[in-house]
Amino acid sequence: MTFLQAMLLAVLQGFSELFPISSLGHTVLVPALLHWHIDRSAPTFLAFVVALHLGTAVALVVFYRRDWAGIVRGLAASIARGRIGTDGEERIAWLLVFGTIPVAVLGVFLERPVRALFGSIPLVAGFLIVNAAIMFAGERLRSAVRSGPPRRLASLPWSGAVWVGLGQSLALFPGISRSGSSIVAGLLLGLTHEDAARYSFLLATPAIGAASVLELPRLLDPSAQGVLAEAAIGGVLAGVTAYASVAFLTRYFRSNDLRPFGWYCLVAGAGALALAAAKMIA
Amino acid sequence: MRNIALALAVVFFVVGSLYWTGTLQVGAGHPGPHHSHGILFFVLGLLALVWMRFAGRASAS
Repeated sequence: MTFLQAMLLAVLQGFSELFPISSLGHTVLVPALLHWHIDRSAPTFLAFVVALHLGTAVALVVFYRRDWAGIVRGLAASIARGRIGTDGEERIAWLLVFGTIPVAVLGVFLERPVRALFGSIPLVAGFLIVNAAIMFAGERLRSAVRSGPPRRLASLPWSGAVWVGLGQSLALFPGISRSGSSIVAGLLLGLTHEDAARYSFLLATPAIGAASVLELPRLLDPSAQGVLAEAAIGGVLAGVTAYASVAFLTRYFRSNDLRPFGWYCLVAGAGALALAAAKMIA
Repeated sequence: MRNIALALAVVFFVVGSLYWTGTLQVGAGHPGPHHSHGILFFVLGLLALVWMRFAGRASAS
Protein backbone atom coordinates (compact mmCIF):
# COMPACT_ATOMS: atom_id res chain seq x y z
CA MET A 1 0.00 0.00 0.00
CA THR A 2 1.50 3.33 -1.04
CA PHE A 3 1.27 6.50 1.06
CA LEU A 4 -1.26 8.03 -1.34
CA GLN A 5 -3.43 4.89 -1.24
CA ALA A 6 -3.28 4.92 2.56
CA MET A 7 -4.41 8.54 2.74
CA LEU A 8 -7.24 7.97 0.25
CA LEU A 9 -8.39 4.97 2.30
CA ALA A 10 -8.29 7.12 5.45
CA VAL A 11 -10.54 9.77 3.86
CA LEU A 12 -12.85 7.06 2.49
CA GLN A 13 -13.10 5.40 5.91
CA GLY A 14 -13.79 8.66 7.79
CA PHE A 15 -16.40 9.69 5.25
CA SER A 16 -18.19 6.38 4.72
CA GLU A 17 -18.20 5.22 8.38
CA LEU A 18 -20.89 7.75 9.27
CA PHE A 19 -22.68 8.27 5.96
CA PRO A 20 -25.23 5.43 5.64
CA ILE A 21 -23.38 3.84 2.73
CA SER A 22 -21.24 1.15 4.47
CA SER A 23 -17.58 1.93 5.12
CA LEU A 24 -16.65 -1.73 5.04
CA GLY A 25 -18.34 -2.19 1.67
CA HIS A 26 -16.53 0.84 0.26
CA THR A 27 -13.13 -0.15 1.60
CA VAL A 28 -13.60 -3.49 -0.19
CA LEU A 29 -15.07 -2.16 -3.45
CA VAL A 30 -13.05 1.02 -4.05
CA PRO A 31 -9.57 -0.60 -3.86
CA ALA A 32 -10.86 -3.41 -6.12
CA LEU A 33 -12.21 -0.85 -8.58
CA LEU A 34 -8.89 1.00 -8.65
CA HIS A 35 -6.99 -2.30 -8.95
CA TRP A 36 -5.06 -1.70 -5.74
CA HIS A 37 -3.46 -4.92 -4.57
CA ILE A 38 -3.90 -4.68 -0.82
CA ASP A 39 -3.48 -7.68 1.45
CA ARG A 40 -6.36 -7.04 3.84
CA SER A 41 -5.11 -9.70 6.26
CA ALA A 42 -1.56 -8.33 6.51
CA PRO A 43 -0.61 -7.20 10.05
CA THR A 44 0.46 -3.79 8.70
CA PHE A 45 -2.93 -3.23 7.01
CA LEU A 46 -4.85 -4.34 10.12
CA ALA A 47 -2.78 -1.97 12.27
CA PHE A 48 -3.53 0.85 9.82
CA VAL A 49 -7.28 0.09 10.00
CA VAL A 50 -7.15 0.20 13.82
CA ALA A 51 -5.72 3.74 13.61
CA LEU A 52 -8.49 4.81 11.20
CA HIS A 53 -11.19 3.48 13.55
CA LEU A 54 -9.54 5.13 16.51
CA GLY A 55 -9.51 8.45 14.65
CA THR A 56 -13.20 8.07 13.80
CA ALA A 57 -14.14 7.22 17.39
CA VAL A 58 -12.20 10.22 18.74
CA ALA A 59 -13.93 12.49 16.20
CA LEU A 60 -17.35 11.25 17.38
CA VAL A 61 -16.46 11.80 21.04
CA VAL A 62 -15.20 15.32 20.28
CA PHE A 63 -18.29 16.20 18.23
CA TYR A 64 -20.69 14.91 20.90
CA ARG A 65 -18.50 15.92 23.85
CA ARG A 66 -21.34 17.68 25.71
CA ASP A 67 -23.65 14.69 25.21
CA TRP A 68 -20.94 12.29 26.38
CA ALA A 69 -20.22 14.39 29.47
CA GLY A 70 -23.94 14.22 30.33
CA ILE A 71 -24.12 10.50 29.53
CA VAL A 72 -21.18 9.67 31.81
CA ARG A 73 -22.69 11.89 34.56
CA GLY A 74 -26.07 10.19 34.07
CA LEU A 75 -24.58 6.70 34.26
CA ALA A 76 -22.58 7.48 37.38
CA ALA A 77 -25.55 9.21 39.07
CA SER A 78 -27.97 6.36 38.35
CA ILE A 79 -25.53 3.68 39.57
CA ALA A 80 -24.79 5.69 42.72
CA ARG A 81 -28.53 6.20 43.35
CA GLY A 82 -29.43 2.59 42.55
CA ARG A 83 -32.14 3.44 40.04
CA ILE A 84 -32.55 5.10 36.66
CA GLY A 85 -34.14 8.52 37.04
CA THR A 86 -36.41 10.32 34.63
CA ASP A 87 -33.68 12.75 33.60
CA GLY A 88 -33.13 12.68 29.82
CA GLU A 89 -29.36 12.21 30.04
CA GLU A 90 -29.69 9.24 32.39
CA ARG A 91 -32.21 7.56 30.14
CA ILE A 92 -30.08 8.19 27.03
CA ALA A 93 -27.05 6.78 28.88
CA TRP A 94 -28.87 3.52 29.61
CA LEU A 95 -30.43 3.43 26.14
CA LEU A 96 -26.85 3.44 24.84
CA VAL A 97 -25.88 0.61 27.20
CA PHE A 98 -28.88 -1.52 26.12
CA GLY A 99 -28.26 -0.68 22.46
CA THR A 100 -24.58 -1.58 22.66
CA ILE A 101 -25.06 -5.07 24.18
CA PRO A 102 -26.37 -6.75 20.96
CA VAL A 103 -23.59 -5.40 18.74
CA ALA A 104 -20.94 -6.23 21.35
CA VAL A 105 -22.09 -9.85 21.73
CA LEU A 106 -22.74 -10.45 18.02
CA GLY A 107 -19.60 -8.57 16.99
CA VAL A 108 -17.29 -10.57 19.25
CA PHE A 109 -18.74 -13.93 18.17
CA LEU A 110 -19.70 -13.36 14.55
CA GLU A 111 -17.55 -10.60 13.04
CA ARG A 112 -14.73 -12.82 11.72
CA PRO A 113 -16.83 -15.72 10.36
CA VAL A 114 -19.38 -13.37 8.74
CA ARG A 115 -16.71 -11.26 7.03
CA ALA A 116 -14.83 -14.34 5.89
CA LEU A 117 -18.01 -15.84 4.40
CA PHE A 118 -19.48 -12.68 2.87
CA GLY A 119 -16.42 -10.63 1.91
CA SER A 120 -16.36 -11.36 -1.83
CA ILE A 121 -16.96 -8.50 -4.29
CA PRO A 122 -20.33 -9.75 -5.68
CA LEU A 123 -21.69 -10.38 -2.19
CA VAL A 124 -20.54 -6.97 -0.92
CA ALA A 125 -22.16 -5.35 -3.99
CA GLY A 126 -25.32 -7.37 -3.30
CA PHE A 127 -25.37 -6.22 0.34
CA LEU A 128 -25.07 -2.59 -0.84
CA ILE A 129 -28.30 -3.14 -2.78
CA VAL A 130 -29.85 -4.72 0.34
CA ASN A 131 -28.67 -1.63 2.26
CA ALA A 132 -30.53 0.54 -0.25
CA ALA A 133 -33.64 -1.62 0.17
CA ILE A 134 -33.45 -1.29 3.97
CA MET A 135 -33.35 2.51 3.70
CA PHE A 136 -36.18 2.73 1.13
CA ALA A 137 -38.31 0.30 3.16
CA GLY A 138 -37.56 2.19 6.37
CA GLU A 139 -38.69 5.49 4.87
CA ARG A 140 -41.85 3.91 3.46
CA LEU A 141 -42.75 1.92 6.58
CA ARG A 142 -42.15 4.63 9.16
CA SER A 143 -45.25 6.53 8.15
CA ALA A 144 -47.26 3.29 8.03
CA VAL A 145 -46.24 1.94 11.46
CA ARG A 146 -46.43 5.20 13.41
CA SER A 147 -49.23 7.61 13.90
CA GLY A 148 -49.21 10.73 16.05
CA PRO A 149 -46.31 13.01 16.90
CA PRO A 150 -42.75 11.67 16.71
CA ARG A 151 -41.18 10.21 19.82
CA ARG A 152 -38.22 11.97 21.46
CA LEU A 153 -35.01 10.00 21.98
CA ALA A 154 -35.19 10.04 25.78
CA SER A 155 -38.66 8.44 25.67
CA LEU A 156 -37.52 5.45 23.60
CA PRO A 157 -38.38 2.19 25.45
CA TRP A 158 -35.53 -0.08 26.61
CA SER A 159 -36.68 -2.76 24.16
CA GLY A 160 -36.45 -0.13 21.40
CA ALA A 161 -32.79 0.45 22.27
CA VAL A 162 -32.15 -3.28 21.86
CA TRP A 163 -33.92 -3.27 18.48
CA VAL A 164 -31.75 -0.36 17.30
CA GLY A 165 -28.68 -2.24 18.58
CA LEU A 166 -29.75 -5.32 16.61
CA GLY A 167 -30.23 -3.08 13.56
CA GLN A 168 -26.70 -1.78 14.02
CA SER A 169 -25.47 -5.39 14.15
CA LEU A 170 -26.56 -5.90 10.54
CA ALA A 171 -23.44 -3.90 9.65
CA LEU A 172 -21.43 -7.07 10.36
CA PHE A 173 -22.35 -7.91 6.76
CA PRO A 174 -19.96 -5.96 4.49
CA GLY A 175 -22.16 -3.61 2.45
CA ILE A 176 -24.81 -3.00 5.13
CA SER A 177 -24.35 0.37 6.79
CA ARG A 178 -24.16 0.63 10.57
CA SER A 179 -25.69 4.11 10.62
CA GLY A 180 -28.24 3.30 7.89
CA SER A 181 -29.64 0.22 9.61
CA SER A 182 -29.70 1.81 13.06
CA ILE A 183 -31.31 5.03 11.77
CA VAL A 184 -34.00 2.92 10.05
CA ALA A 185 -34.61 1.01 13.31
CA GLY A 186 -34.95 4.33 15.13
CA LEU A 187 -37.36 5.69 12.51
CA LEU A 188 -39.55 2.56 12.78
CA LEU A 189 -39.71 3.15 16.54
CA GLY A 190 -41.08 6.62 15.92
CA LEU A 191 -37.98 8.80 16.24
CA THR A 192 -37.43 11.77 13.96
CA HIS A 193 -34.57 11.56 11.46
CA GLU A 194 -32.60 13.98 13.61
CA ASP A 195 -33.00 11.94 16.82
CA ALA A 196 -32.54 8.59 15.03
CA ALA A 197 -29.28 9.87 13.52
CA ARG A 198 -28.09 11.30 16.85
CA TYR A 199 -28.79 8.00 18.62
CA SER A 200 -27.11 6.09 15.78
CA PHE A 201 -23.94 8.21 15.99
CA LEU A 202 -23.84 8.05 19.79
CA LEU A 203 -24.36 4.28 19.59
CA ALA A 204 -21.58 3.93 17.02
CA THR A 205 -19.02 5.54 19.35
CA PRO A 206 -18.66 2.72 21.94
CA ALA A 207 -18.80 0.07 19.19
CA ILE A 208 -16.08 1.68 17.04
CA GLY A 209 -14.09 2.84 20.08
CA ALA A 210 -14.14 -0.54 21.84
CA ALA A 211 -13.28 -2.41 18.63
CA SER A 212 -10.26 -0.17 18.04
CA VAL A 213 -9.11 -0.26 21.67
CA LEU A 214 -9.33 -4.08 21.68
CA GLU A 215 -7.24 -4.17 18.52
CA LEU A 216 -4.74 -1.57 19.78
CA PRO A 217 -2.03 -4.24 20.38
CA ARG A 218 -1.83 -4.59 16.58
CA LEU A 219 -0.47 -1.02 16.43
CA LEU A 220 2.15 -1.83 19.06
CA ASP A 221 3.22 -5.03 17.31
CA PRO A 222 6.79 -4.87 15.90
CA SER A 223 5.42 -5.81 12.45
CA ALA A 224 3.39 -2.57 12.45
CA GLN A 225 6.43 -0.31 13.00
CA GLY A 226 6.78 0.24 9.26
CA VAL A 227 3.33 1.81 8.92
CA LEU A 228 3.17 3.83 12.14
CA ALA A 229 3.61 7.16 10.32
CA GLU A 230 0.91 6.28 7.76
CA ALA A 231 -1.32 5.01 10.60
CA ALA A 232 -0.89 8.21 12.63
CA ILE A 233 -1.53 10.56 9.69
CA GLY A 234 -4.33 8.31 8.39
CA GLY A 235 -5.97 8.24 11.83
CA VAL A 236 -5.96 12.04 12.01
CA LEU A 237 -7.24 12.32 8.44
CA ALA A 238 -10.03 9.78 9.12
CA GLY A 239 -10.92 11.68 12.30
CA VAL A 240 -11.12 15.06 10.53
CA THR A 241 -13.22 13.57 7.72
CA ALA A 242 -15.49 11.80 10.22
CA TYR A 243 -15.96 15.05 12.17
CA ALA A 244 -16.90 16.92 9.00
CA SER A 245 -19.25 14.06 8.02
CA VAL A 246 -21.10 13.96 11.34
CA ALA A 247 -21.34 17.78 11.37
CA PHE A 248 -22.88 17.66 7.88
CA LEU A 249 -25.20 14.72 8.60
CA THR A 250 -26.63 16.13 11.84
CA ARG A 251 -27.66 19.24 9.88
CA TYR A 252 -28.80 17.18 6.88
CA PHE A 253 -31.16 14.98 8.91
CA ARG A 254 -32.99 17.99 10.39
CA SER A 255 -34.98 18.28 7.19
CA ASN A 256 -33.95 15.41 4.88
CA ASP A 257 -34.27 11.64 4.75
CA LEU A 258 -32.33 8.50 3.80
CA ARG A 259 -33.54 8.12 0.24
CA PRO A 260 -30.63 9.88 -1.55
CA PHE A 261 -28.23 7.46 0.18
CA GLY A 262 -30.52 4.60 -0.82
CA TRP A 263 -30.31 5.65 -4.47
CA TYR A 264 -26.53 5.97 -4.22
CA CYS A 265 -26.17 2.46 -2.68
CA LEU A 266 -28.50 1.00 -5.31
CA VAL A 267 -26.49 2.50 -8.18
CA ALA A 268 -23.09 1.70 -6.60
CA GLY A 269 -24.13 -1.88 -5.76
CA ALA A 270 -25.62 -2.54 -9.19
CA GLY A 271 -22.58 -0.98 -10.89
CA ALA A 272 -20.17 -3.08 -8.82
CA LEU A 273 -22.19 -6.23 -9.57
CA ALA A 274 -22.10 -5.45 -13.30
CA LEU A 275 -18.33 -4.82 -13.19
CA ALA A 276 -17.79 -8.04 -11.23
CA ALA A 277 -19.90 -9.98 -13.75
CA ALA A 278 -17.81 -8.48 -16.58
CA LYS A 279 -14.70 -9.49 -14.60
CA MET A 280 -13.53 -5.86 -14.57
CA ILE A 281 -13.10 -6.00 -10.79
CA ALA A 282 -12.16 -8.98 -8.67
CA MET B 1 -34.34 -10.49 40.86
CA ARG B 2 -31.26 -9.75 42.98
CA ASN B 3 -30.39 -13.44 43.12
CA ILE B 4 -30.85 -13.90 39.38
CA ALA B 5 -28.62 -10.87 38.71
CA LEU B 6 -25.95 -12.17 41.11
CA ALA B 7 -26.03 -15.65 39.56
CA LEU B 8 -25.73 -14.11 36.09
CA ALA B 9 -22.81 -11.96 37.21
CA VAL B 10 -20.98 -15.00 38.58
CA VAL B 11 -21.64 -16.98 35.39
CA PHE B 12 -20.41 -14.09 33.21
CA PHE B 13 -17.23 -13.64 35.28
CA VAL B 14 -16.48 -17.37 35.18
CA VAL B 15 -17.13 -17.64 31.42
CA GLY B 16 -15.03 -14.50 30.85
CA SER B 17 -12.13 -15.97 32.84
CA LEU B 18 -12.36 -19.21 30.86
CA TYR B 19 -12.20 -17.31 27.55
CA TRP B 20 -9.38 -15.09 28.82
CA THR B 21 -7.23 -18.08 29.76
CA GLY B 22 -8.10 -19.99 26.60
CA THR B 23 -9.85 -22.81 28.46
CA LEU B 24 -13.14 -22.06 26.69
CA GLN B 25 -13.14 -22.03 22.89
CA VAL B 26 -16.87 -22.04 22.04
CA GLY B 27 -17.58 -19.68 19.13
CA ALA B 28 -13.95 -18.59 18.89
CA GLY B 29 -12.27 -18.73 15.53
CA HIS B 30 -8.81 -19.91 16.58
CA PRO B 31 -7.23 -21.77 19.50
CA GLY B 32 -5.65 -19.89 22.40
CA PRO B 33 -6.75 -17.11 24.77
CA HIS B 34 -9.65 -14.92 23.61
CA HIS B 35 -9.21 -11.61 25.32
CA SER B 36 -12.03 -9.80 23.52
CA HIS B 37 -14.47 -12.58 24.54
CA GLY B 38 -13.12 -12.36 28.07
CA ILE B 39 -13.56 -8.58 28.22
CA LEU B 40 -17.09 -8.87 26.80
CA PHE B 41 -18.16 -11.30 29.53
CA PHE B 42 -16.41 -9.25 32.20
CA VAL B 43 -18.38 -6.16 31.12
CA LEU B 44 -21.61 -8.21 31.04
CA GLY B 45 -20.77 -9.35 34.58
CA LEU B 46 -20.37 -5.74 35.70
CA LEU B 47 -23.73 -4.87 34.10
CA ALA B 48 -25.33 -7.78 35.95
CA LEU B 49 -23.93 -6.36 39.21
CA VAL B 50 -25.44 -2.96 38.33
CA TRP B 51 -28.75 -4.71 37.66
CA MET B 52 -28.44 -6.37 41.08
CA ARG B 53 -28.00 -2.95 42.67
CA PHE B 54 -31.00 -1.54 40.82
CA ALA B 55 -33.11 -4.59 41.76
CA GLY B 56 -32.09 -4.22 45.41
CA ARG B 57 -33.23 -0.60 45.48
CA ALA B 58 -36.48 -1.44 43.74
CA SER B 59 -37.38 -4.17 46.24
CA ALA B 60 -36.37 -2.00 49.22
CA SER B 61 -38.62 0.88 48.20
